[in-house]
Amino acid sequence: MNGFPFFINLLINGIVEGLIIALAALSLTLVFAVARFANAATGDYMTLGAYAALGMQMLTGASIVVNIIVAGIVTSILSIIFFRWVFQRLAGQSSVTALVASIGIAFFIRSVLTFFVGHDQYAFKIPVTRAINLYGVLIYQADIYLTAVTLLALGGVFSVLYLTPIGRRMRAVADNFELARISGIRSSEALIIMWAIVGAVSGIGGVILGIKSVIMPEMGWDLLLPAFAAMILGGVGNPVGAVFGGLCIGIAQELSSLVVGYSYKIAVAFLALLLILLWRPHGLLGYKEAIR
Amino acid sequence: MKAKLRLSPKTLFCAMCLSCLVAAVPSLSTFAIAQDTFNIGALNPITGAGSFYGSGMQQTILFAADQVNAAGGAGGRTLKVFAEDTQTQPEAAVLAAKKLIEVNKVQAILGTWSSSVTLAVMPLTEAANIILMHNSGAPEITTENKKGLVWRFAPSQNLYGRVFAEVCRKNGFKRPATMALNNASALGQIQVFSKTWKAMGGNIVESVVYEPKMPTYRSELEKVLAAKPDVIILGSYLPDTTILLREWYQTGINTKWIIPQWAATPKLIEALGENVTEGIITIFRQENTSPAFVTYSDLYKKATGKSGSDNLYAAMCYDMVNVLALAMEAAGPGASVLQINSKIRTVADGPGTEVYSFAEGKKALKKGPINYNGAGSWIDLDKFGDDAGSIFTWSVIQKGRYEKKGNIILK
Repeated sequence: MNGFPFFINLLINGIVEGLIIALAALSLTLVFAVARFANAATGDYMTLGAYAALGMQMLTGASIVVNIIVAGIVTSILSIIFFRWVFQRLAGQSSVTALVASIGIAFFIRSVLTFFVGHDQYAFKIPVTRAINLYGVLIYQADIYLTAVTLLALGGVFSVLYLTPIGRRMRAVADNFELARISGIRSSEALIIMWAIVGAVSGIGGVILGIKSVIMPEMGWDLLLPAFAAMILGGVGNPVGAVFGGLCIGIAQELSSLVVGYSYKIAVAFLALLLILLWRPHGLLGYKEAIR
Repeated sequence: MKAKLRLSPKTLFCAMCLSCLVAAVPSLSTFAIAQDTFNIGALNPITGAGSFYGSGMQQTILFAADQVNAAGGAGGRTLKVFAEDTQTQPEAAVLAAKKLIEVNKVQAILGTWSSSVTLAVMPLTEAANIILMHNSGAPEITTENKKGLVWRFAPSQNLYGRVFAEVCRKNGFKRPATMALNNASALGQIQVFSKTWKAMGGNIVESVVYEPKMPTYRSELEKVLAAKPDVIILGSYLPDTTILLREWYQTGINTKWIIPQWAATPKLIEALGENVTEGIITIFRQENTSPAFVTYSDLYKKATGKSGSDNLYAAMCYDMVNVLALAMEAAGPGASVLQINSKIRTVADGPGTEVYSFAEGKKALKKGPINYNGAGSWIDLDKFGDDAGSIFTWSVIQKGRYEKKGNIILK
């Protein structure tokens, strides 16, 4: 093997893969922080986003940027609909009830999708370009754009969370639901904004995953496990932790392939998760009431 | 409440008799139907990775069965087809097979595609003692075929692996590397390729096994490319091939590819465009130049509007129905599934009058033994139930079209 450049390439691959996981993990952790349950429909929100962008591309031939924005909006709206229709009615029930409901929503979305689009694979019509080769380190142009979009999306979410009044209210609800209510914060408003953000992040993540790989009905669901792991690794309910956890899992997977080969790299990522949790049971950046 | 549930022995006896009678009625009625119809399940990959072939396969089973019925049926029975979708996934295939066996009472399942699907369905058909005819490649299917009820109409990966080595040699490649998706079929293909290639005195510069359903295969690719192969032999399916080739093109590193055609379908060209797929060598099975292929091809065109050569798995399905029907005819009226099964090799692979259709075979069987020469191959079922009678072909994708370059016949 080519030594150092090869190692750097692995690292880059890990970061790109980690960023995709990070978007899913961020979406998961936001729901966990504010609504207090693990939203198993996250993966299928992503799938839906990818298909929404694909549909837009097929119908209008619009540029990929427009498609990404449309995907974010469509998934946001759907996310709010499911909140009003299902999760709002389950408020006050145990988190297991909401979890089971979210699994139901996941299957519902996938079944409706496959009914209309089938199980065939689709791909975005984007010209494939050659990578930039810097002394053996390969930089894919597509990866640069994808990383930029991911960082923009992450930046947007964090700006809303930490720089706006509504973000402050959301964090207050996450911190202490009862206290926030007593202080006059309308929790339903904060929840709707949270679900809109969750939808947008998932939708954008789905398009990026679709551009990287191929669009199939199971694409989002298959990403759910690493996303859960990333959320737990970073500390449940902590948005920065989710991104950090996603990157850790992505990089751990790719670098471990040097030692254990490619078939076991997924297992190694989870072994790392196990060891870190033994050392820090609340996750790397975890502490109680994480969003503050 | 409790008093009501207490039954006297007499009532209990009456109830038992009644329930026996009720249970017997439907089984009596299916028995009556089974006298003049033979139920077969068309279990095909209508959706999923095999969808490019699946619906053509299913329509072929339907028109082939119609043809048999139009010729007066087989062994005094008409064929009735129940169609199901495997989704090219073992879980969905098992559910569909269960339904076919338990609800539709099928006595044969035809046309499973992809080895993981066939391996998942096999235990069910074996337990029910019914015939399974499939289009999958994994060598394991042969070893799991304990009762001799499983028949392989597509070439085993044992054959494909050897063909890959032969095409690699013919093109003068010296430094092949291999990449295999981690499933029974692809691993089998690559293992046989490696064994054959090494036996030819060749050397393999790198080999990687990769996992399905990953968003990227860059690291796997870069490891293989670092060994500077002049060709990469791929054992794969369509989705992973799409991701792999896109990422390979982005690296800008020049190498050739030899890919099975079930992974390098026109969908791949559609997804990646002509530039990326230019020069890819694909390997597939050649259609059989027999009158059976002509008949199949005409019917296929009528049923689907597409050319019969586009879907050789459908041609194999055509042969499945004909071989099964001829075996039923040879076994005679009222024969059991096992009796029919024992006649399959006799009609398809025996010495006897060469026949190309069911109607011809039915007539010839009255005079003596027959040998069915099919649309997909001339059918040469070895002692394990695998068809060894194939001509393979290799093509190069040029400007988005498959240009045939040559045939390979294994000795």
